[in-house]
Amino acid sequence: MEEFVDKALDYASKKANYAEIRFLSSSRNVVLLKNGTVSATGYSVDSGLAIRLLNNSIAFSSINVPNWERIKEEIDRAARMSERSGRNKFSSENPVRDSWEVGEKKKIEDLTFEERVSTMKELDTLLSNEKISMRIMSLGDNIEEEYNTNSEGMSLRSRLPKVSFFAMLGFMDDGSFEQGTAEAGYAGGYEALDEWKLDERLRHESGVLKRAAVAKKLHDGVYDLVAGPEISGIVAHESAGHPTESDRILGREMAQAGESFIKKNDRGRRVGSDIVSLVDDPMHEHSFGFYKFDRDGVKARKRYLYKNGLINEFLSNRESAGRMDEKSNGASRSSEWDKEPLVRMSTTFIEPRDHSFEELVENVKEGIYMKSFTEWNIDDIRFNEKYVGREAYHIQNGEIKEVIRRPVIETTTINFYSSIDAIGKDLEFSAGTCGKGDPMQGVDVWMGGPHIRLRSLNVR
Amino acid sequence: MEIEDIYTKLEKQVDQAAVKLSRSRITQIRFSNNIIDISNEWNEESASVFLSKNGRTFLFDLRSEKDLEGIMPRSLSALERIEKNGDFVSLNDRKNSYRKKTMNDKKLREIEGQEFVNNFIDAVKPFVRRVGGVFYKKDIEEEIRTPFNSGTQRQFGIEFVSRAFDNSDYPVQTSLATSTDADLPVLMKQEEAVLNLASKVNNIKEGKEGKYNVIFSPLCFASLVSYTIPMASAFQIDSGMSMFAGRMGEKVGSSSLTVYDDPSDDGMFNSKTFDDEGSPAKKTPVIEKGIVKNFLHNFSTSRKYKVETTGNAGIVSPNPWQISVEPGNEEIDDMTSSTRKGLFINNTWYTRFQDYREGILSTIPRDGIFYIENGEIKESWGGVRISDSLLHIYKNIEGMSRETNKVKWWDETMFTKTPFVSVADVNISRSK
Repeated sequence: MEEFVDKALDYASKKANYAEIRFLSSSRNVVLLKNGTVSATGYSVDSGLAIRLLNNSIAFSSINVPNWERIKEEIDRAARMSERSGRNKFSSENPVRDSWEVGEKKKIEDLTFEERVSTMKELDTLLSNEKISMRIMSLGDNIEEEYNTNSEGMSLRSRLPKVSFFAMLGFMDDGSFEQGTAEAGYAGGYEALDEWKLDERLRHESGVLKRAAVAKKLHDGVYDLVAGPEISGIVAHESAGHPTESDRILGREMAQAGESFIKKNDRGRRVGSDIVSLVDDPMHEHSFGFYKFDRDGVKARKRYLYKNGLINEFLSNRESAGRMDEKSNGASRSSEWDKEPLVRMSTTFIEPRDHSFEELVENVKEGIYMKSFTEWNIDDIRFNEKYVGREAYHIQNGEIKEVIRRPVIETTTINFYSSIDAIGKDLEFSAGTCGKGDPMQGVDVWMGGPHIRLRSLNVR
Repeated sequence: MEIEDIYTKLEKQVDQAAVKLSRSRITQIRFSNNIIDISNEWNEESASVFLSKNGRTFLFDLRSEKDLEGIMPRSLSALERIEKNGDFVSLNDRKNSYRKKTMNDKKLREIEGQEFVNNFIDAVKPFVRRVGGVFYKKDIEEEIRTPFNSGTQRQFGIEFVSRAFDNSDYPVQTSLATSTDADLPVLMKQEEAVLNLASKVNNIKEGKEGKYNVIFSPLCFASLVSYTIPMASAFQIDSGMSMFAGRMGEKVGSSSLTVYDDPSDDGMFNSKTFDDEGSPAKKTPVIEKGIVKNFLHNFSTSRKYKVETTGNAGIVSPNPWQISVEPGNEEIDDMTSSTRKGLFINNTWYTRFQDYREGILSTIPRDGIFYIENGEIKESWGGVRISDSLLHIYKNIEGMSRETNKVKWWDETMFTKTPFVSVADVNISRSK
């Protein structure tokens, strides 16, 4: 299909005020293990042409039939659809001609399926020995190659390899059940396995579940909270990243994932204590959400979503920036070749500051240390949220004490960020898949932060 | 791509091969704040291939027949070396015949998406502050070829979701998914449906914690069963991550709860005549009168469980096709008027589990949370959460309406037909 890009762009440029033709190919491998059994090994090549035209409105069309007459028909159809009234303003950007790629130290194509299966079997044996009776694990990779062009002269080629791991674990002890997940993602090759140290992680996670299954709940009450990087990360993603997506703020997702408690004119509004800054950075090396140029051809850059407790910047693409009469800050992403680009996060995190872990804990009189989470959710304006602890401990008089079971924090975005009184100097990331759009587009992201301390939260 | 060409290239190199070829044309119109945002069109062809040889299995997807040349050596190499798939027994090895689908969609096919959406916006916007939503028209043809069976099936349907914000900016939402002209009058009255819901909004307040009798709308109850029924897949049961694991024959709901996976309802989009390995798709009660009756199987899992396949392949993992909840005999107006203190919840999202075995979850109600006192809607709430367990909710079902709706919304609900459902003592929590 790639051979049709230039011809299709020429043709589409005559039919629209703005035309974009993109060829995207994803080659994926996956190995799936269920309780030690190799349930699936597979490979897929997913590729095709995406056509986006702008006249009186935006039309997006996709075709993977390598036939010029059929492609022309699709362009004609998209042109007709774009003649109907609707929204039709993109931000003005300088067209870029460039190419970029992420290297692999251990090339994805060099790893055989036997090696993939063998790696997974070793991890499964480890878990089985740890008495983790419920185990679903997958190891996957994806090489995405893109040739992206538009009628303004943009021409971008890229190659982005990624590796990912996911485990869903369950431990049962005398009718008491605990479940947990472990997830990792990396832009690059299978050197990721050396970075991840999955055996250590899974052994630790096994211990967490076993201890939690026999732990007791803490009494309901008001506690200080020391939250680990996994908690900082999910909070950053859910209640700073999502509410600053400008398409949400403008209502573009109103019938799906919803809108935002942040309104169009809210930049400068206080949402947290003045030590709190939130960042989204697609250029973080080897991050799961890494890119150098977004799907609109805009150069990626670091963005301060909240700065010193104030709303600072909205994530945007050319469509949403155009509606706000601004320049895009390069947050346009799509999960597959046949999906429209939307405003998305990449690597979202709370910016580290100055405290050691010991300093965060030492003057907590009565508190909890929540290191990881299980159930969580947030409302469709990204304001009311809930996090249930998976690995959690009681803190008393500056010391970490016993394991506690499933502590529940149900709070608001502003209360959470306003309660932060100290921020650690460490920084860790975890991988995830962020869902948005209709049809649903899951995109790879990292989220993270340092350990943080919050004062006086209601805990159940 | 031609299915026989692909199958012929595979069959002699492996023990068993299954090829599923899909051709789809899907039109989508998305709109928000009274204006169309984008018109999407997907015109695609794809093939999914399953191979087995000496107990080893391999899957791949194709977007072009040309790609076979590169993929086959890789697949055959993997099939020589990887570990055997202990879950796989065989594709369905009986010669099967399939029922003929009843397609009654001539008028639905004539609907033009952009025009439909613009007419809808024009009808609704004088009465609310703003409205958004999505229109889908889907036309899919699917072919299957295995060593034992072959078949063709078509799917056609329209989905329409609208979310309107009234003058106080309180949202309500409706959904309809249908494949039959019989539902055309309902489809053409979606503006009435959403305005009727919006007219119930009054006295907006932050909700209060507590235990409430809740009337779940079809859209909301569809969301709950959409998280529940996939857990009846034998793959999920095997993994242990399911509230149905170890509960075959046990009571998981009140005697008024019967839930089917029902691919035989041709008035719904995801009706099927065969599954991914050529077994006939059929109506299967998963929960019958509150009792776990069946798990969902493909041929291999059915052998393991010593039952007949339910025709739900996925060759790796069986999946439900579309859900049908048996209606009751109550009128929704009576259900509301007999509620002394309770809630009507119209929709929910972001459902997450802390314990799949016990179905312990929380989910966030939205788009119409109405507090009812002495049979009348007194307040419209926000900021609350259902923090409960599916087992508790299903066991506390007290009533079902006679009326059912066919819904599908985003990734939150599967294609589902369900009545309004009233449940006692649902735990409602909120942020502090």
